Amino acid sequence: MIRILEGNHAVSEAVRLARVQVISAYPITPQTHIVETLSEYCADGKMNARFLCVESEHSAMGAAIAAAMGGARTFTATSSHGLAYMHELLHWSTGARLPIVMAEVNRAMGPGWNIWTDQTDSLSQRDTGWIQLYCEDGQEVLDTTVSAFRLAETVNLPVMIVLDAFYLSHTFEPVDVPEQGSVDRFLPPFSPRFAMDTENPANFGELVPPGLYMEMRRNIQLAMESVPGCFSAIEEEFFFQFGRRYGPVECWMCDDAEVIMVVSGTITGTCRQVVGDLRGRGEKAGLMKIKMFRPFPAREIRNAFNPNQKLAVVDRNFSFGAGGIFAQELKAVLYQAPDRPRVFEYIAGLGGRDVTPKTLETIYRMTKEQDTPKMESVWIDLNVVDEGI
Amino acid sequence: MYEQAMSKIPLLISRSKISTEGHKTGEWRFVTPSFKEKTAPCRATCPVGEDIPRIGMIASRGLIKEAWETIMAENPFPCVCGHVCFHPCETACNRAFLDESVAVHHLERMIGEAGISEGFSASVLKTPSNGKRVAVVGSGPSGLSAAYFLSMLGFSCDLFESKDQPGGILRWGIPAYRLPEWVLQNEILRVEHMGVRIHCNTRITPERIGEIMDNYSALFMGYGHGRSVTMGIPGEEMAADGLDFLLEIRRGNLPAMDGIAAVIGGGNAAIDVSRSLIRLGAKPLIIYRRSLADMPAFSKEVNAALDEGVQIMETAVPVRIEEEDGNLMLRLQKMRAIGKDPEGRSRVVPDDSAPINLCVQHVFTAIGAQSDGILNPKEEGNDRAIPLSHSMFTLSKIPVIYGGDLTNAKRSVSDAIASGKQAAMAIDTYFHHGFDAIRERLNVSRVGDRDPLSMAIYLETDRASRSPKVISYSDINTDYFSNTPRHIPQTIPMLRGELSFMVKEPVFSLKEGVGEASRCFHCGICNDCDNCRIFCPDISVSCVENGRRINLDYCKGCGICVAECPSGVMELEEEQP
Repeated sequence: MIRILEGNHAVSEAVRLARVQVISAYPITPQTHIVETLSEYCADGKMNARFLCVESEHSAMGAAIAAAMGGARTFTATSSHGLAYMHELLHWSTGARLPIVMAEVNRAMGPGWNIWTDQTDSLSQRDTGWIQLYCEDGQEVLDTTVSAFRLAETVNLPVMIVLDAFYLSHTFEPVDVPEQGSVDRFLPPFSPRFAMDTENPANFGELVPPGLYMEMRRNIQLAMESVPGCFSAIEEEFFFQFGRRYGPVECWMCDDAEVIMVVSGTITGTCRQVVGDLRGRGEKAGLMKIKMFRPFPAREIRNAFNPNQKLAVVDRNFSFGAGGIFAQELKAVLYQAPDRPRVFEYIAGLGGRDVTPKTLETIYRMTKEQDTPKMESVWIDLNVVDEGI
Repeated sequence: MYEQAMSKIPLLISRSKISTEGHKTGEWRFVTPSFKEKTAPCRATCPVGEDIPRIGMIASRGLIKEAWETIMAENPFPCVCGHVCFHPCETACNRAFLDESVAVHHLERMIGEAGISEGFSASVLKTPSNGKRVAVVGSGPSGLSAAYFLSMLGFSCDLFESKDQPGGILRWGIPAYRLPEWVLQNEILRVEHMGVRIHCNTRITPERIGEIMDNYSALFMGYGHGRSVTMGIPGEEMAADGLDFLLEIRRGNLPAMDGIAAVIGGGNAAIDVSRSLIRLGAKPLIIYRRSLADMPAFSKEVNAALDEGVQIMETAVPVRIEEEDGNLMLRLQKMRAIGKDPEGRSRVVPDDSAPINLCVQHVFTAIGAQSDGILNPKEEGNDRAIPLSHSMFTLSKIPVIYGGDLTNAKRSVSDAIASGKQAAMAIDTYFHHGFDAIRERLNVSRVGDRDPLSMAIYLETDRASRSPKVISYSDINTDYFSNTPRHIPQTIPMLRGELSFMVKEPVFSLKEGVGEASRCFHCGICNDCDNCRIFCPDISVSCVENGRRINLDYCKGCGICVAECPSGVMELEEEQP
């Protein structure tokens, strides 16, 4: 049924349809609407789940870990500083191989205090072993959340569904909300491969000596390496059931493109418009949307380009002392390729600044007009400010 | 495809079936938690040492009979005290720092009334007879208390009262609007049910003392201050005696009165006389030699009197009473303060102003009372004597103990009850352990190193193990208590005439009382909240009979149990190397 939902409520609907058993969360703008709605669903009996009110994000993840250890399908949601506060336990949930699903609403890190969108919060967690899936619109948020439980429970790794603050979290769009029966057919009840059981006591997460630790880390990586394949298989089933699929990366009009805009999140939607307009004017523009950031889909990306193309990577994030994080990742996977395209790096839209069609077209033009990329990222649309205190 | 994919995913985690019981994490400990019940400030302030936190805890569970028995262990008069006690417990209550103190007074009244209406019996507290007989002179609160506790300890008691009914000050001094007749009758009856024989109309003269000494093992003197002190001024014979007036009212003589009635004095008797006068139609005016703040009457009573319309003239002393045209002309000298006396009250001397003449219709005196003087403790100077906090133990042919108003610095009903209890303990100790043991045995029976004596501690029940440390507000984990205002029954507006002496003071319903009791912090005593067991990260706390046990093999000494204990029972102690 088509409903008009904000992005946050697309998450809540998906969590309800996924028959999550335990939700533990601490509210933070702009994530609050997700858990607010879920708490109402639990209170009203629309969900048969235990909603745990905790005193912090650290505890939210701690409780989620405990619930998942007990074999429950578990969900939480957070944003920005809340995610940073969870950091230690993000490592823990991966090491313990727990299929926790979390919605992460991209919000800038302070100070200066800022509640608007920026990807640096989730990208700062790239080495924690969480699968990260970035979404473009409300429908993709709902579909990805439902699929995330399948993926997490298949590979025994936690999954983060990432959506932009306000542009997506608080924007109402038509979303096709599937029937419970069809979701049940796609997503069977969680059948854990291991769980804490008082009838069969065991210690989990105990001391591991150097002789075994490396094997366990390697084991996590093997699971990570299986993710793209599993993701495709799950998407195939999802497509069969619901008629929609997204892919870890999406290429649009790339085959003959001279400049390919590489984007993620809600900038993708704007960029589709810009690339379409440019094509209408005879420009050879293309678009690549990166949905899966962890594991980084190296094979799909290497196969997508030819050496003569230019890539214009638009990063709504920044790693101080280096550059845009998507650009770094892209360069890293392309470096070993025999022939590789040139990568132009742009920083835009930090802290919720609008990335308009004009911004993207500027980036396109700059890329088209230059032969070789600059060493450093190019910051777009900077205002002139007094640099002193 | 899904099942197929799932089975191939590598999953190597750290998991072991070996029991962790081999890790004796207790070896890491350098501080050890323990359960140590402590003393609540309310109890340490209660003249009779009632175990108020336990009463609160038990009452909050609706166990009214058990709460009543807990009071009866320390006080034979729950309902009397629930009406007339000046409840210092509420001033000491730690709850006042959070919102408002617990309404202990009203709780006690509710429990006391339940004891009467349900017919609870205190005879379970009685120990077998020891064959010894004790004579008690005076059936006021101290005499009744001495007889009750002596009976509890196995003594056989004869109580002698000169008037036609027992009760002393409770019956003749306190007006019925403060203490209803049925409350007094029932609670005295219960003392008789303990086996005490009350002989009314039996005045003990000095001549009969010798007879008593021949027939009894010990004697308690609690005949009180029954005779009014006189002012010694010209025209004093025209003033009525306040105590006689109160006595007549208790006998049912309720004359309609009008005009201004001057009441000389500043104690509780002056207040009682004034509040009775206003009910009978007169306009009472209290005349007190010092300032309002120096009045020995309980401030609650003073405020109640002021609320009812009693007027008070401070720093004035009557110097003469004359009759003039059928009225009384009261000549007053104004006083002024010159420093403080040893008790902290103002010392006053006449100021330089000329005397004031006041035309009134009645004058009542209530400036104090003294004993009828059968035997006075000071007269026994040659005997071996032990002055105690609430009594005087002397040894002549048999032990003679003086108590109540004869020895008490503070003349309250509760202190009189404490006096009787102390005398009972002293007599019991004398017969079991000898004269020299008295001071020490009474010393260890104190509540929290304060004056109140506890019979439960004296009898070495489990409560004797409590630490004398008095719990302060900072010892309470107030995270476990939410702000809940105190709720007390509304008082009935003052009525006039005969009716006003028949009013029953309002009392909690059971539901209200249980609700109020649940506001109690239970300072220093375990309320079985189970936090220590629930929060222990090492599962080292377990429930055992009569409480909880800490398994020191695994307790790391983290102190979480101590932090989460709401009532300050748990404590951490450094391990000795």
